[in-house]
Amino acid sequence: MAKLNLRDKFGDWWDGASPFSRTVFRILAVLAAYAIPFLKNPIIDTPETSFNSVLFYPLVMFSLMAVGLNVVVGKSGILDLGYVAFFAIGAYTHAILSAHTGLNFWEIIPFAMGFAMFAGVILGLPALRLRGDYLAIITLGFGEIVRIIAVNTEAIGGAAGLTDIPGPSSVFGIEFTVMDPRPYYWLTLTAMLFVIWGVLRLSHRKPGRAWEAIREDEDVAEFMGVSTLKYKLWAFIIGGAVGGLAGAIFASNIRSIQPELFTLNLSIMILACVVLGGMGNIWGVILGAVLLGYIPEKLRFLSDYRIIFFGLLMVVMMNIRPNGLLPRKKREVVGDKS
Amino acid sequence: MSTKLLEVKNLVVKFGGVTALDNVNLHVNQGEIAALIGPNGAGKTTVFNIVTGYYTPAEGEILVDGKSMLGLRPYKIARAGLARTFQNIRLFGDMTAVENVATAADALNKSGLVGSLFGVPRSRRDEKASMEKAHELLKFIGLDHRALQMAKNLPYGDQRRLEIARALALNPKVLLLDEPAAGFNPQEKVELGELIRKIRDRGFAVLLIEHDMSLVMDISDRVSVLDFGQKIAEGTPVEIQNNQRVIDAYLGVAEDAS
Repeated sequence: MAKLNLRDKFGDWWDGASPFSRTVFRILAVLAAYAIPFLKNPIIDTPETSFNSVLFYPLVMFSLMAVGLNVVVGKSGILDLGYVAFFAIGAYTHAILSAHTGLNFWEIIPFAMGFAMFAGVILGLPALRLRGDYLAIITLGFGEIVRIIAVNTEAIGGAAGLTDIPGPSSVFGIEFTVMDPRPYYWLTLTAMLFVIWGVLRLSHRKPGRAWEAIREDEDVAEFMGVSTLKYKLWAFIIGGAVGGLAGAIFASNIRSIQPELFTLNLSIMILACVVLGGMGNIWGVILGAVLLGYIPEKLRFLSDYRIIFFGLLMVVMMNIRPNGLLPRKKREVVGDKS
Repeated sequence: MSTKLLEVKNLVVKFGGVTALDNVNLHVNQGEIAALIGPNGAGKTTVFNIVTGYYTPAEGEILVDGKSMLGLRPYKIARAGLARTFQNIRLFGDMTAVENVATAADALNKSGLVGSLFGVPRSRRDEKASMEKAHELLKFIGLDHRALQMAKNLPYGDQRRLEIARALALNPKVLLLDEPAAGFNPQEKVELGELIRKIRDRGFAVLLIEHDMSLVMDISDRVSVLDFGQKIAEGTPVEIQNNQRVIDAYLGVAEDAS
């Protein structure tokens, strides 16, 4: 073990740190995340697109969705290829409700999440009786069904989609304008911090153990008294809620949505963030999302060839670290008394 | 006088055209170690898979403490009092030893996901109870010093014992052990026998599938013998050792070499 392992170094420090230093570290990390839009740095800056808009979409948006999908794929081991459906449902909920009711963005958020959760139940109840590849195919179909319904329903704009979607009303003196992506970044970051808080809490408790047990061996989990259907359904519901939340924020930012924004490609992209970053590890997943969002923007000078390089880079990275950049790993305490 | 905690009546199991179990009757009494033996392929593990709800029998009745388990999903049967281990170890490899046990202990409380998210008092209490129980059981099987090691990194013998602790966390009425001594050396087999007795003395009834005859004959109160899906004998270890049908079917061959 001569290799320098930054992760273990950090882990050792964290384990030995007092609650006070941990809190200080947390606060500094959060502040740093909020301060990113103020960075003016030619090295991290993206060519041809303003860095701040890249920061909102795709970086933090991908991160939020990847954290949500990670509950399903990474924690519970359910391969979901239709995650974009929940994103679409959130986006359409905001677009439709804001047009037809007097509700503003903040009031619509619970509905966007609620509808996406409900969709999770509708999809999950029949689909979760299947496993593995079969389940993956069903989720893939679900993603397509939602998009195709949107294309073919004139009442919600059909293929042309919906326009004139209002942004969030201002809060704490922060205006959400079309020109400035920073408030949206902060909004999404805030949402993500709440989601991370919730997911970490669940991970360390009974639901987290149930999910991991299901991922490790679903039959045995059932034999050990875990209601596997219930916890798989919960994973879908939570993943769906996060997807719906992300969708509503996304719609409020881009102001007009079309079904073509919600294709299989996006599902695959978010899944790639989870897999590349390290399934089951929330920090790895965020790292994956940041890299997969950032690299294509950085490579924009290659114009359309960038996708080829992007693919090549992914192949190389997955070869070097097949379990992801930051794989899930529990720090073991090895003690031998005898 | 003794209560039957597990009772299997007239069990018939068919896989396609093959009759895996043919009219099998079994029971496990309170406070006893019962053993189920038989040559490979006799249907022993199928019995476990049936009573724990993994397969559905074609005919028959399964009673746990007098209550029918037919048609219940496996997790309900587990909570009702049947916990098992596996012939080929099936731990949750990427979880720590204590988490493996706590996962099963969790099944006995009714705390839900929303309660866990917001940390309501009941969920905190249940969480604490699960972890305490898991640590207590690890101590019972002598693995408390490895509580925070990943299950997949434990030595083989510890993995076998961890499976037993995980099953015990369900507070089963009957503990089903599927070849717990497989791969053990003679010394470890003796220790395992002592552990099973300790488990019985804690008040759990045990149903044991085992190929190691000296272990079976040493610790069992009652032995049932399966051959080609049929029960061919039942009795005390001494009776079984002297039963001609059993000797013909099983003990006469090299299986009992150990």
